[in-house]
Amino acid sequence: MIDSIQRRDKLSPNLLEVSNLSVNFETIDRTVEVLKDVSVTVGKEEVVGVVGESGSGKSTLAQVIVGVLDIPPARIMGGRILLEGKEILPHPENKVNFRGKGINMIFQEPLTSLNPVYSVHDQMEEAVNIGHPKLEKKEKEAIIRKSLAEVMIRDVEGVLNVYPHQLSGGMRQRVSIAMVLVQKPNLLILDEPTTGLDLIVQRKIISLIMNLKKEVLSSILLITHDLAVAANMCDRIYVMYAGRVVESGKMRDVLHDPKHPYTTMLKNSEPEGYANGAPLKVSSGAPPDLRHLPPGCAFNPRCPMAMDICRSKVPELKKLADNREVACWLYE
Amino acid sequence: MNEPILEVENLTVQFKAKTKMFRSTGDREKWKRVLNAISFSLRQGETFGIVGETGSGKTTLARTLVGIYKPKDCKVTLYGKRVDFRKKEGILLLRKTIGIVFQDPVGSLNPRVTVYDIISEGIPVWEKLKEEQKAEKVREAARLVDLPESKLESYPTELSGGEKQRVSLARTIIGGKKILVLDEPTSSLDVSIQAQILNLLIRLKKELSISYIFITHDLNVIKYMCDRVAVLYYGQILEQGNTEEIFEHPRHPYSSDLVAANISFSSTTKFSEVQESGEPSKEGCVYKNSCSKRFASCDNEPPVIDYGKGTVKCWLYSNMRDDRGNKMER
Repeated sequence: MIDSIQRRDKLSPNLLEVSNLSVNFETIDRTVEVLKDVSVTVGKEEVVGVVGESGSGKSTLAQVIVGVLDIPPARIMGGRILLEGKEILPHPENKVNFRGKGINMIFQEPLTSLNPVYSVHDQMEEAVNIGHPKLEKKEKEAIIRKSLAEVMIRDVEGVLNVYPHQLSGGMRQRVSIAMVLVQKPNLLILDEPTTGLDLIVQRKIISLIMNLKKEVLSSILLITHDLAVAANMCDRIYVMYAGRVVESGKMRDVLHDPKHPYTTMLKNSEPEGYANGAPLKVSSGAPPDLRHLPPGCAFNPRCPMAMDICRSKVPELKKLADNREVACWLYE
Repeated sequence: MNEPILEVENLTVQFKAKTKMFRSTGDREKWKRVLNAISFSLRQGETFGIVGETGSGKTTLARTLVGIYKPKDCKVTLYGKRVDFRKKEGILLLRKTIGIVFQDPVGSLNPRVTVYDIISEGIPVWEKLKEEQKAEKVREAARLVDLPESKLESYPTELSGGEKQRVSLARTIIGGKKILVLDEPTSSLDVSIQAQILNLLIRLKKELSISYIFITHDLNVIKYMCDRVAVLYYGQILEQGNTEEIFEHPRHPYSSDLVAANISFSSTTKFSEVQESGEPSKEGCVYKNSCSKRFASCDNEPPVIDYGKGTVKCWLYSNMRDDRGNKMER
């Protein structure tokens, strides 16, 4: 049994495999289930999206994978994460240091992920030391300048000597992308990389990431609330609601033929085209409060197709054709 | 369409860069011009969109229209009456007619009073209503914005983001305002909640026959909600006109850059071209440092050209011959 599992791991074509991950947040008076039985895979050279509204657990998922989740208050209740067939959770194999070259992450707000008391140059140098530890100082300097130029920064010398707060939002995000690039990670996790940026800047950052993906990076896991951004970047997506994956599949299939009523609602919520006074098709209700989830499927109070069974039993993820999965009683 | 109810001409707002410290770091101007000769009009029952990026002056425009900031120079006509910003009557006239919903629902609601008190605060004092009449009006406003009556006794912190924005709306419509300035009303909300608020706005407009000035950076929302649109860049309107016209045939290079950068389900432009943008220019055309079509004339202040369905402020069209401006002499 154990042998067969190990053999499967070795043969696995997936870069990242998260299986049955459950995470609770524990406080003095209550326990909140933030992730419940989440399984996500990222293949080699694949762009995978995780889409959901606030409270869906998408950022927690990213934090668990990178290993930056605060434990406590969080507690990992179960599950396993494999990176290139090696276990990184719950027990890192041979104490493998997977961060940096293995997995790297770009956060939503670069002002908080860049260190305010070090200049851009010093922070870049630190990143280069991880990516290329054995090089001469001169070569390292050259790599710093090259990677900043790669992210379309024109005034490289000027940027190197300033501190993060002196840069604009788009420039900061470029610097954090450049820092990740020199480490050449196998898997890049993007946590809402363009939220809060201006439209043209957002488009540029996305273009930059997609162009660099072709040349340098292998796989991307994109965490976003914006289905339209995911639609333009991803090969495959997972839709999350209240800490569970409710639907997954190829991006094109999910967008054109959403199976779960929540995915349908998410798609209909995006204003598209000219309305001329026509309302959007969206049901009432708010994103779930994880402290007071309804019994059964968490989406049932907002679901236009809710049945009796939805209010009593949680639907399991069910496999459909075309590698799709959906957790909904409509497809049982 | 109907007569314009609000006409704004040459609205200019500038802030003082007070201390020497501020002046020495950046530009050495004593005054910072945030809005520069803005002109637009709003017709009855219309939604007029204002789109722009960070620092374009969107919020300053919203705040000036409700009298929070005083403009340096302007001619504002409201229902045929000239508004004098220097006199108290002028500001009162503005505030009687124009209401505002702020972007941040947390900061715009007093956390120490109940939702009932917040909404009833919007009732004009001169109506001198009795308590029961007030309560009736508040319940009516709450019903209009789909706020459950049970929430009237809660405090703002107990509400979700969508509910807070509904309270802000109720507080504004209870005073019988005819024009609402919506300053990024949905940008802090989840997409499904944003959709609910947009639906609510569409319904309120019909039921109460009000007009909106809708300010946002989200092109998809503008496209969905607005009849006409103005594109704001660094304090200037570079192009304004019919929404469909601007989205299908953007004339100003900045508008076409914006439309091309927009991401929607149907966006077809590939992520390939990464064009570098520059700082807004202080002389000549503001967009010239980022413009792909820049030529010699751009160093001078561009003229505002009327093309029938709207106006555009660009040298490219100064001797426009055909509709798309392709064939012209330089």
